Amino acid sequence: MTVAWIGDRDALVQDAVGHAARLLAESWCPVISIDADVDGTRAAIALAGRVGAAYDHFDGESLARETALVSDSGGIFVSAGEVRRRADLVVVVGALPEFHHDYLRTLAETAPDLAERRTRDFFLVPDRGNDPPPAALDGQVTRLACDGADLPATLAVVRAQVGGRPVTTPVTNFERLCDALAKANYAAFLCSGHGTHHLALEMLQGLVSDLNRKTRAAMLMLPESEAGWGGTLVSGWTTGFPMRTGFAQGAAEHDPWRFDVRRMLGAGEADVHLWVAAREDSAPAHANGSTLIALTKTAEPVAEAAVTIPVGAPGADHDAVLYSSSRSTFVGRTAGAPSQLPSAASILKAIMEELPVKMDTRC
Amino acid sequence: MLIRVAGGEIIDPVNGRNGIGDLWVEDGVIVDPPPGAQPDRTVDATGCIVMAGAIDIHSHIGGGNVNTARLLLPEHHFAHLPRPGATPLSNLGWSTFQTGCLYARMGFTTVVEPAMPPGTALHTHLELADIPIIDKATLAVLGNDDFLLSLIRDRASSEMIEDYVAWTVASTRALGVKTINAGGAAAFKENVRTFSLDDVVPSYGVSSRSIVKTLQAAVTSLGVPHPLHVHCNNLGVPGSADTAAATMEAAEGVPLHLAHLQFYGYGKEGKRRFSSAASRLAELVNSTPEITIDVGQVMFGQTVTISMDVLRQYPARKNAHPKKSFIIDGDGESAGIVPYRYRKDFYGSLQWAAGLELFLLIDDPWRVFFTTDHPNGAPFTAYPALFALLMDREARRRTAENLSKPALALTTLPTIDREYTFEEIAIMTRAAPARLLGLKDRGHLGQGAIADIAVYRKDRDIEKMFAAAAYVFKDGEMVVEEGEITALRWGKTLRIAPEPDKAMLRRMESYHQERYGLSLDWFVFPDWAIDREEPFGEVPCIA
Repeated sequence: MTVAWIGDRDALVQDAVGHAARLLAESWCPVISIDADVDGTRAAIALAGRVGAAYDHFDGESLARETALVSDSGGIFVSAGEVRRRADLVVVVGALPEFHHDYLRTLAETAPDLAERRTRDFFLVPDRGNDPPPAALDGQVTRLACDGADLPATLAVVRAQVGGRPVTTPVTNFERLCDALAKANYAAFLCSGHGTHHLALEMLQGLVSDLNRKTRAAMLMLPESEAGWGGTLVSGWTTGFPMRTGFAQGAAEHDPWRFDVRRMLGAGEADVHLWVAAREDSAPAHANGSTLIALTKTAEPVAEAAVTIPVGAPGADHDAVLYSSSRSTFVGRTAGAPSQLPSAASILKAIMEELPVKMDTRC
Repeated sequence: MLIRVAGGEIIDPVNGRNGIGDLWVEDGVIVDPPPGAQPDRTVDATGCIVMAGAIDIHSHIGGGNVNTARLLLPEHHFAHLPRPGATPLSNLGWSTFQTGCLYARMGFTTVVEPAMPPGTALHTHLELADIPIIDKATLAVLGNDDFLLSLIRDRASSEMIEDYVAWTVASTRALGVKTINAGGAAAFKENVRTFSLDDVVPSYGVSSRSIVKTLQAAVTSLGVPHPLHVHCNNLGVPGSADTAAATMEAAEGVPLHLAHLQFYGYGKEGKRRFSSAASRLAELVNSTPEITIDVGQVMFGQTVTISMDVLRQYPARKNAHPKKSFIIDGDGESAGIVPYRYRKDFYGSLQWAAGLELFLLIDDPWRVFFTTDHPNGAPFTAYPALFALLMDREARRRTAENLSKPALALTTLPTIDREYTFEEIAIMTRAAPARLLGLKDRGHLGQGAIADIAVYRKDRDIEKMFAAAAYVFKDGEMVVEEGEITALRWGKTLRIAPEPDKAMLRRMESYHQERYGLSLDWFVFPDWAIDREEPFGEVPCIA
């Protein structure tokens, strides 16, 4: 059987699973940080329900901003496929995570086949005025910047100017934006919770809403983490809530501040931290006295972990259902390099089996 | 195991049973009384009504849009658990787990999610697979996608269109096909704001009527048991009855199902130019035998509207309660999620009455189906109260006392005395849905049917009786006892599997590669993606 570790000692996986189950069962405030495929997330949430844990995405801040946009105000959105096929005006707002730049490149290299105009105009509202444009759009993009203003303020100025209201400091190239909007059949605003202030996302939705009075426009949210957004969708249907949900009272409760797992760990509120990490390059949040159980793809024990159990990377070591931002939904990915490593879901289910009280598993 | 459900009042219209008797179950199916055999278990159904498990043909229980509603409204779910049952927002039943349990508790054993965008079919099936106890099914939505509109524009052969419909239904594991404001979402992307049956999608020059007729012909020709399921144009607007009437006329003798007809039951009479036209529509249904409808009854209180009729949902944003909403232009199909509170004001009262008029004025319980269009007219947990309104004219009168008198004066409801019988309820919620969906193995209690059985303790309080079944069996296993869930199991998702020509598969691969830059593998899903043993059950097409 695959080797695991209890502390830094080699152990059978079944022994490590048993030890993890005991730590969770005896914990008074367990937390789970999740970065997994659909089955791994379902299993982690089911386990959270069994042991009264709070759960969150392992790097939940950007995801929380993206989720809050939906939960607080909603908006007008568009899928990535529809942007590719229809948008003849694309405005990139703020910095997009690097892994979305291939998608930008695709937009730059293709024409919208469903648009009357078979060309695209590109604009950029940078995080800061001097930020360079994404390399994928280099040479094609017109900057909309406002001297000394941050992103939310710049978007506020753009919105005011589009609405015909006077401003003291106009954005650069506004006339070119006006021309592009006048020509456009469908404008898409691309953004991410990655480093983008919640107020900027709301202001952008305000602009999109204004534009839709006379024309068509929408926001494409490109999530900071595909596993994170997929996880919050899974959390939605299994508990009714997004990530940052806890079972301390028995039933699910959602509180974006209270169940911010990174905050709970930093404040010393949690005593056991189960870290489920699909990405090989990630690291668990600061422990601050909590006991760490690590489920990740590793060839050696994770530093300071009480238990380390190697698991496969979803879609690489084993078949998996993952969220895909280029499809704006879930896709099934067959294993790219199948291995004997167990899936996170199978280990989480095994931990549940070792918990002292048996009951029906909901997921 | 041999089970005897003893001494109940068995109501099984399909097999002509209506009286006290026993029901025998063995290995998950209903069997004839085995001569001389002793049951392993006897369930005392004395004083109870015994029916087949109920089937809901139109309830938005899972998929990307339902899940977005969850994310949009966490406060609704927050109110769900800690509050006592009688308070507002207490019964929306958000999670997949709760959905299955709450349906089973009411004696429902099969539920159809009627709006699956083909592009997000995997998401829909992941959620349906997580709904315990009940069987599910879903309808694939077509009518706004570029591929189909291009085929119609280019006057493609009927065989090619049928192949495309067959490929869509088969690859998305659907039980049938629905069209939602056909062409409306495509037109909205081109900045069209109103769209009627004979309006055309600008870029294609294709009318909504031609889309409906094309899909109706394809569904019929393929032998899909369920007729084309149509969400008409102009939902909710004054005068929408004209659109519904024109759509019924367009059926031209071929079966067509019109969804949530209540939302089209509006005329333009009265000083507010908003009146009930439900009696007119009911007469039309009565005289048009190829038409079936479900009602989409409105009940009062907070809910959330979830619809792929984005052309309707976009302007509905201004009436959102609370003030937030979600509009999505998706691949082909689109959607809008708008929370809404039905108040006992003029408009709410009129909608409530129009739905009941349809129920009570359509003569044939085989052609009118029991829905609230969950959650659009009301959460499905309002069903017990709705049964009471249908079966008890005094319950209607008591409710009407607190409603808008000017609104009710614009309806025929106060003049209607009809009360549904248990047999009519059994037809409308069991026998007829099974027949409409092509599910021969359920909806009745005859020998060989799967043992989906609902046992209700008779009570003068009809709402109480239907709220919590005394016993519910799913595939012969007792899953509810005295209104409490006693066993969890995973049901199947029912689907048909028409076989498209292989040329269509090649054509779809090429289309997706060229237009989206992605392999077809990204748009369809393998069976292993649903982590359940035998997640699907196949229903045969009509030969």
